[in-house]
Amino acid sequence: MFHNSSHKRFWIFKSEDELEHMRCKANQKFRNKILESGKSGANESIFLERNEEDVLFRYYERRMLDFCNAFKPAMPKSVVGTGIMYFRRFYLNNSIMEYHPRIIMLTCAYLSCKVDEFNVSSTQFVGNLVQESPAGQERVLEQILEYELLLIQQLNFHLVVHNPYRPLEGLLIDLKTRFPTLENPESLRKSSDDFLTQAAITDAGLLFPPSQIALAAILNSALRAGLNLESYLTECLGLKGDKEMLARMYDSLRRIKILLKKYELPKAEEVNLYKHKLERNHAEFSTSSNKRKRGYEEDGHVAKEPRLTEEEWTDEDLI
Amino acid sequence: MEQYSILGHIGEGAHGIVFKAKQIETGETVALKKVSLRRLEDGIPNQALREIRALQEIEDNEHVVKLKGVFPHGTGFVLVFDFMVSDLSEVIRNTDCPLTPAHVKSYMLMLLKGVAFLHQNNIMHRDLKPANLLISFSGHLKIADFGLARLFSEQRERLYSHQVATRWYRAPELLYGARKYNEGVDLWAVGCIFGELLNSSPLFPGENDIEQLCCVLRMLGTPTQESWPEIVELPDYSKITFKENPAIPLDDIVPDASPQAVDLLHKFLVYPSKQRCSARQALLHSYFFSAPLPAHHSELPIAQRAGRPPRQRPQGLPADFSLDLPLERSLVDATLLCWTHLTGLANVNT
Repeated sequence: MFHNSSHKRFWIFKSEDELEHMRCKANQKFRNKILESGKSGANESIFLERNEEDVLFRYYERRMLDFCNAFKPAMPKSVVGTGIMYFRRFYLNNSIMEYHPRIIMLTCAYLSCKVDEFNVSSTQFVGNLVQESPAGQERVLEQILEYELLLIQQLNFHLVVHNPYRPLEGLLIDLKTRFPTLENPESLRKSSDDFLTQAAITDAGLLFPPSQIALAAILNSALRAGLNLESYLTECLGLKGDKEMLARMYDSLRRIKILLKKYELPKAEEVNLYKHKLERNHAEFSTSSNKRKRGYEEDGHVAKEPRLTEEEWTDEDLI
Repeated sequence: MEQYSILGHIGEGAHGIVFKAKQIETGETVALKKVSLRRLEDGIPNQALREIRALQEIEDNEHVVKLKGVFPHGTGFVLVFDFMVSDLSEVIRNTDCPLTPAHVKSYMLMLLKGVAFLHQNNIMHRDLKPANLLISFSGHLKIADFGLARLFSEQRERLYSHQVATRWYRAPELLYGARKYNEGVDLWAVGCIFGELLNSSPLFPGENDIEQLCCVLRMLGTPTQESWPEIVELPDYSKITFKENPAIPLDDIVPDASPQAVDLLHKFLVYPSKQRCSARQALLHSYFFSAPLPAHHSELPIAQRAGRPPRQRPQGLPADFSLDLPLERSLVDATLLCWTHLTGLANVNT
């Protein structure tokens, strides 16, 4: 249940400012790490600025969504939602300059399949990278498995994400049973669904509980159909007597809507420019060792033969 | 890992080794379950993920083992649990102290409380069996091993695997290959455990899947469309037919049990899963409110894990000292009345 979930306790933040502050810190942390290591070629101009990171983040998030939507067998919405939430949680405390979003996004999707019991084998999963040769898929899989442990650690082992899809179903049922004023609640479904799809690629899920996001979806969808559901809030959701609570609810709903409105598709020319920068960054500073491999050595096992580096495959191979 | 000092080896889990350890700072004894990711082609095993996700999201319950933490270590990670001295399979196997009806009742009470809590939280355990019911130092029973647990509240009707649960405790619908099932599979297992507690031996000890089904059918009778309408829809229903035979009365199966116990057992061991008594309902059954009342947890035997010498009883007291017996019957025993015992008793009495 949401009320005692790790989602509520650890992954709902106060404000957009707080989120931005965390992301800035992650960006700064990476810079400091490189500058302190005294690597040649390390100067401020090579790093991505926060806004540049943000463009690329949104770009890769869309790639991830495309990958999930094209996935065969069809991936349930909650699996996609959970995967994207992992992706957003991961990059709150990590810079894309440190961990390449190309592999993190696949690792997020892979982990969410497992956690949400959408059972696909690892080979089946990478088999969906249709542009890749079997050898290429093998290589990607190896990387996914290497990053899985890092990901789950960065998520603090908090695996359960509460998506707004079930609350949406609940609200629709509630409207049907307790709010006869509204003639055909099902007519709100399509645009509510679209709203939730949009909301998934904003910070809404890091700022608001899923039930509020679902409510925003319903109210927004009603508004577009020229219906007023205000009396549902006051009569059915018990907000009539509580003016302050009602005002706070409206404020949340408004802020969720603004988040969606503010969303901008990343521009192609910007993406290309920053991507170039990101690749240079990774080529220059890529830390070849990683948690899993390091683990092998710690445990006294012979490290595997050096693998082909991840720079050998590009985004274009992905989808 | 630096925070813990390893005290010993408890056992081998499905996906790693379990250690007994002491947390250095607090002095607390814990069980560390190490999940290693070496050479796993699918990465982090599903069992480990299920265990984390099920236990992390539920509130504390007296009868569910507590996940105290998770931390990365080497090639994998480590789950930290409260340390438990024993499990119910050890208790049943320990012939030195056979279970009294009050003991059985107490274990059933704790088991049902735990199961009711899980089901209320939409968690099916799917692998309830005596070995997964741990016993704490204070005698409390706690449900453990959530490697197969899953949430059953999914929006879409998803198909589940029928390859769950240890064979002896596997519900008949699973034996017939059901892919859609519900928390009734746990209630069937509860019935099997109940029977095992009453008899001190497993109810349906099948040697393979087919024989398992035979075992169940032999006791409960061959299911018919009247007694179990859903059976025709089960995947393996048409694949196998059994010679028809009537059910054996439960009183014959658990001969030493009280009528109330038999009645409750009967409510779990029915073919249609929906007709099985829920854990919540079962807690209200007259069985729990009739004499002998459930034993207090401090009176329960604490069997040590196999491989270690059994705990020595204090020499001065008779071996069958029992709170259920009148004092004179266990204390004033001519064969035990020798000088050493009398001095022992004198110490006890003062």
